[in-house]
Amino acid sequence: MTEHISQADLNALADGELSPDQLAFVNDHLAACPACTSAALVQTLLKANIAKAGQRYAMPAGLEERLKRLATSDSSGRSRPSGRSAMAGWATAAAILLVISSGLILMLQGRRGAELAALEYQAQVSEVSDLHIATLAAGLGPQVVSSDRHTVKPWFQGKLPFSFNLPDNLPGDTKLDGADLTYLHNQPVAQLLYTIGRHRVSVFLTERRSGEPMDGKQSEHSGFKVTSVGVGDLDIVAVSDVDQARLAELVSLIRSVQAGAKA
Amino acid sequence: MTLLPWKREAQKPGPQTSAFEDLALPLLPALYNVASWLTRNPTDAEDLVQESFLKALRGFAGFETGTNFKAWIFRILRNTYLTSRTGLEATRTVALEDELDEQRVSGPGLYPEGAIDRQTPEVNLMRLADRAMLHGALEKLPPPLLEVILLCDVEEMKYKEIAVVLEIPIGTVMSRIARARTALRKTLQGQDTQPRERGA
Repeated sequence: MTEHISQADLNALADGELSPDQLAFVNDHLAACPACTSAALVQTLLKANIAKAGQRYAMPAGLEERLKRLATSDSSGRSRPSGRSAMAGWATAAAILLVISSGLILMLQGRRGAELAALEYQAQVSEVSDLHIATLAAGLGPQVVSSDRHTVKPWFQGKLPFSFNLPDNLPGDTKLDGADLTYLHNQPVAQLLYTIGRHRVSVFLTERRSGEPMDGKQSEHSGFKVTSVGVGDLDIVAVSDVDQARLAELVSLIRSVQAGAKA
Repeated sequence: MTLLPWKREAQKPGPQTSAFEDLALPLLPALYNVASWLTRNPTDAEDLVQESFLKALRGFAGFETGTNFKAWIFRILRNTYLTSRTGLEATRTVALEDELDEQRVSGPGLYPEGAIDRQTPEVNLMRLADRAMLHGALEKLPPPLLEVILLCDVEEMKYKEIAVVLEIPIGTVMSRIARARTALRKTLQGQDTQPRERGA
C-alpha cells in the first residue's frame, strides 16, 4: 500500500459516499497511514463545522404563515371563480353590451373615431366604477389580504400576462389593503385596493391592447371620481369617492414606480 | 338575480394543497437559509423563497409521488435564483472562470498527490471550528461552489440528489465539492483562496 488516498476518496469518505469495497480499502489504508488519517480527520472536521456554520440564517417570523395564506388563496383562486369574479362577469357582460351598442350607434350615425374613443372611455369608466361599487357592496375581503407589496405583487404571478411594481412609500394616511384578480373586456386585470383616510380606492392595472393611452383623463361617474394614466403598455385607472387631487397623487405614485416592470 | 353558478364557496385548501404543505412547510427554514446564502440579502431571500414556494405549489401536480421532494423543491429554488437579478449577476461574474476550471479539473489526474494538504497543525484545526472564519470563508466561495457545499454539508444531500438539484453530472458534483473544500481550507489557513489544483 504505497499510494495515499486521493482527495476524491477523502471527500467521499467524509460524505459517506464510498461503496463497501472502497470503504474497506480506505479503512485498511488509514490504519497504516498517519498522513491520510490526519487528512481524513481534517476533512471530516471541516464538513462537520460547515454543517453548523452553514445554518446561519433563521427564517423570519411570519413568513411561514404568509406562505400558508398564499398557498390557500392561490389554490382557491385557481380552482374556481370567486364571488367578486361573478360580479365582474356581470359587469363585464354589461360593459361589452354597452360597447357593442355604442359601436352600432356610431356606425349608424357615421360619427368620427374620436367620438368612438370617447364612448369607449365612458364605457371603461362605467365598467370600472361598477366593479368598484361591486367591491364595496360585496363586503368581502380582498382575494389577497396584505399591506405588503412583496406579498401582493407575487400573488399575481401566473395570473396576469404582464407584471407591475407597487410603491413602497405611500402618503401618510394611504394604505394598501390587498388586491383582487378581476376582468375588464374579458382580460384579466389587477384590482389593487387602497384606503385613503376613510375612503376606499380601487386601482385597476390593465394591459393596453390597442389605442392611445388614457393619459391624464379625469371624470366622474355615479358620484365616484375616476383618474386614468398610461405608462408603457399599462393603463392605470383609479376609482374612489376621495377628492380628485388625492386620487391623482396615488395614481401618479403608482405610475412613477413602473419603470422596469415588463408589460 | 341568482348567481348560483359562481356562488362563493368557503375558502379551504384542497387535498393537493394540503399534501404540498405537508411536504414543503418543514423545508422552509432550509430553503430560506440557502436562499439567504445565495442572495446575501434578507428581502431578496424572502422573495426568492416565496416565489419558489408558489412555483412549486403550481407545479406540484407534475411532481412524481415517491420521488425526492426535497431535491425537487431545491431545484426550483435554485432555478428561480438563477433567473433572478442577483442570480444573473452572480452567474455572469463567475461563469467563465467556472467553466474553465470545470474543464481543467474533470479530466484524469484530477487530484494529484500534491493537492492534498496533509499539514494539520493545531492552529488549523482551531480555525476549522471558528464559526466567524467559516462564515467568511463560505462568503468568499463563488456561487457554484457555495451552493454545492451547502447542499452537501448543510442539507446533507447525497451526490446523486445534488446532481438532480444542480442538473449536473455526479462527477461535476464531486469536483466542485473538492474545489470548494480546498478553497475553504486555504481561506481558513489565511492563504490564497484559489484551490491548489488550479495551478497543478
